[in-house]
Amino acid sequence: MTRPDLTTTAAASREGPPVPGHWLTTARAVMAFQLSRLLTRPRLAMALIGALFPPAVMFAAIRTAPLDRNMAVVMIYALIPEALCVLGLLVTMCPVVADELERGTWIHVAIRPGGRRSLLLGTFAAAVLWTGGVAVTGLLLTLLIAQPTQPIGLAVMFLALIMLSCIGRAALFALPAVILPKRALIASVGVALVVEYLAGFLPAVVNQVTVSLRLRSLLVEWMDWRRELPVEMTLFVDTYSAGVQITAVIILVVVLLAAACFILNRRQFPPSAEN
Amino acid sequence: MSEPADTTAGAAVIEVEDLVKEYRGSDGSRVRAVDHLSLTVAAGEMVGLLGANGAGKTTTLRIIATLLRPTAGRASVCGCDSQADPVGVRRSLGYISASTGVPDRLTARELLTSFGRLNGLTETEVNSRVEWLIDTLALGAYADRPAGRLSSGQRQRISLARALVHEPPALVLDEPTNALDVVGSRNLLETLEQLRGSGHAMLLSTHRLHEIEHRCDRFVVIDAGRVVAAGTRSELVGAGRDLEDAFFRAVTGGASS
Repeated sequence: MTRPDLTTTAAASREGPPVPGHWLTTARAVMAFQLSRLLTRPRLAMALIGALFPPAVMFAAIRTAPLDRNMAVVMIYALIPEALCVLGLLVTMCPVVADELERGTWIHVAIRPGGRRSLLLGTFAAAVLWTGGVAVTGLLLTLLIAQPTQPIGLAVMFLALIMLSCIGRAALFALPAVILPKRALIASVGVALVVEYLAGFLPAVVNQVTVSLRLRSLLVEWMDWRRELPVEMTLFVDTYSAGVQITAVIILVVVLLAAACFILNRRQFPPSAEN
Repeated sequence: MSEPADTTAGAAVIEVEDLVKEYRGSDGSRVRAVDHLSLTVAAGEMVGLLGANGAGKTTTLRIIATLLRPTAGRASVCGCDSQADPVGVRRSLGYISASTGVPDRLTARELLTSFGRLNGLTETEVNSRVEWLIDTLALGAYADRPAGRLSSGQRQRISLARALVHEPPALVLDEPTNALDVVGSRNLLETLEQLRGSGHAMLLSTHRLHEIEHRCDRFVVIDAGRVVAAGTRSELVGAGRDLEDAFFRAVTGGASS
């Protein structure tokens, strides 16, 4: 075998290693890395099943009994921004972060400048893109089957809800993934149930920090249902404007990701963690 | 950020000073894995870090690589302190472990490109650097094959290429030949010798003493986190048979084999 010629890398003649890239550039590199890892046949099959699930349910519902527009909207909301997005993010966000933390790949990323932050943000972006792509595909197919009036308006509204659901829930699941990497999926399911679907429906201050309250409130606002809403249902939605709801989700995402990054930056990797 | 350190031959690139690392045991007690350990590695020098299982080798290497925080003492690379300036350390360091961490689905080219971008190289720099590494480390035959289909030796060479993608002046190698056969191991060590010749500072831990006996410039033997012997091969071996004999004497306090 030919011996490699490495003399041209003389450290003495080098100007020095490259300056760390901007965090957006490095996070984008991780995102591309994670997306390329997601492109496996089992994951693509899972994505296809996920995208076909809402239209299949809608098809079954329509065949059983005719649905009015409002009922179809409620079904789409429950099936896509809620069920499909949450399940998709549970499958992509937490296992990927946890795998990175617990397996060998992680330490090679962690010793790069800004590697930990890039890993989290890049994985977050990959999970949002992947799940969002599946959800949008599911939405378009469901709208085709439901054929509601003013489909473009509904599509735009649901695109916004899907985006907010994906970024909000992905940030929410990032925390258990970095705090309890060995139990990331179980912890994230717990967070989804306790925070999103228990606290989110409590008529108390605690529901203000949930994504589900914001999404429900946006749905009610954008569909102009507030005046028709039964009194008991008003307990489960917020009265502020759509702008406030969107800002609240963005603040929540920033706070959750900042907390996850802080925890990751302080995380240590003893030799036993690689086993 | 610290000023770049002098990486000309002979200048200390990796410095460990009075390092202490304690872990909390499952019963709450504190276990000292590294105990006031000091060492240096100069540019163009390969130093072997030797010790039995649990002696503190990996912990020391991980503190240098900023994966662990020391309880006391300091570690620095190219003048950058691992605590005060971890980004400076990461810029200057390549790290290889026995577990290659090369994802099965990615090819060498894809992996190196990802890590080049992660290190802040521009697209032009990434492309030329990846081509150079593939060419120089002789990865060409399998650079576009998913890593899952490659041998341990080939994966470890990809891991070495990944460690070198940002041209670090220092390399920390934690049992890099562990999973390799004789050919793969020899091939990798010859490449490391070439890198030493080009001015890289290398700190390498291994249990395969015969492989590095005539390759490393110096050795540091540790036991229970403490340095029990240090020096060149001839200084350690003395009148003994070989490095293994010297190592055995050092960790058993002179007991005869």
